[in-house]
Amino acid sequence: MNKKKLATVWLGGCSGCHMSLLDIDERILEVAKLADIVKSPVVDGKDFPEVDIALVEGSVTSDEHLAELLHIRKNTKTLIAFGDCAAMTNVTGMRNYFDLKDVFETSYVNSISNDQEGEVPDNPYLLRLHDKVLPLQECVPVDFVIPGCPPNADTIFYVLFEFLNDRTPNLSEAKKLKYG
Amino acid sequence: MMALVTIYIDGKKIIAGSEKTILEVARENNIEILTMCHLKGLTDVGACRLCMVELEGSPKLFSACTTKVADNMIVTTNSERIRRYQRITTELFFAERNHICAVCVSNGACELQDLGYKVGLDAIRYPHLFPQCEVDTSHPLYVMDQNRCISCSRCIRACAEVEGAYNWDMMNRGYQIRVISDFNTLWGESTTCTSCGKCVQACPTGALWAKSIVQGQQDKHPEFITDLMERRKMNL
Repeated sequence: MNKKKLATVWLGGCSGCHMSLLDIDERILEVAKLADIVKSPVVDGKDFPEVDIALVEGSVTSDEHLAELLHIRKNTKTLIAFGDCAAMTNVTGMRNYFDLKDVFETSYVNSISNDQEGEVPDNPYLLRLHDKVLPLQECVPVDFVIPGCPPNADTIFYVLFEFLNDRTPNLSEAKKLKYG
Repeated sequence: MMALVTIYIDGKKIIAGSEKTILEVARENNIEILTMCHLKGLTDVGACRLCMVELEGSPKLFSACTTKVADNMIVTTNSERIRRYQRITTELFFAERNHICAVCVSNGACELQDLGYKVGLDAIRYPHLFPQCEVDTSHPLYVMDQNRCISCSRCIRACAEVEGAYNWDMMNRGYQIRVISDFNTLWGESTTCTSCGKCVQACPTGALWAKSIVQGQQDKHPEFITDLMERRKMNL
């Protein structure tokens, strides 16, 4: 049997979803029987290759994230929005209520710890933040969503295991929906 | 003596008092109809549009909480169309304000979260509005967080009908609607609020909460409003 290719990606999130992924513990061996993890923050790897399944954590906050997501979409059969940030922007999107300029100045200039001496970084090699943080499905078509902050390890394993066995999971029927 | 009528809900024949609403009759007969703005004991206003049902002979949908039963009424509560609208309504609640479950006092004990699970909401298909919302912390005991308000008006009705204080009201229309204290002044400066906390108990989300709790500690008992009103009726 051909092993599937699995990737996990970390965009604008806190990596908590990946921590929860690691919480599937020894069940990672079940996953490893059916798939190779070819790209992930926890494995070595360069460019994002063609994969069957990609778990994408976090929202789209910058030009870099958007380019990455578009590339992932092109090279992925089943793109899964992984966690509340990917699904509905969550905490990452809390800056959306303010002007980006105010957000920058609050973080880099007016923050008490800066002693008023900080300045907004302006290096051309830095990524460019978008005005608004967006959930994945506002940028590309998403095939499946696992909400949760973070999603439970059981839920993550359930979804992976179903897809790896060519079945489509149903979180609502499995009573595994959770936000927050 | 109340007149009796025969109605059919999802094919089930039911004899009911003609003074009752479709929602009351359905609940008495263990037929589930989703609601957010309904709280037994308070006047029904049909604000949340979740309890929409189909009545045979009409292309329109009717809110079960404000529509009285009538003889030979044929009601459908669970068609494909109704489920689709329930899902849309729920998604719009989430898209309209800033519901960040992860940092909310009501996480895990929230009627909006539960509603999402019931309608199978996994993502929101509409663009979020991301409005900049006020958080009023001026009251010594409680907080009003507009980010989490779904404009169900249960707080307003609990304040007016149960406490009789009339502190809360609504301002503006549509997506700009806001629950206000007195004439849109700080809650802490209210001349009408008695600090009874009934609005906090009535609120289905984390919009109203007591300062004594932090994230995920919410433990509300809206049924206490219902109980209070039932007892008052008995005393009369």
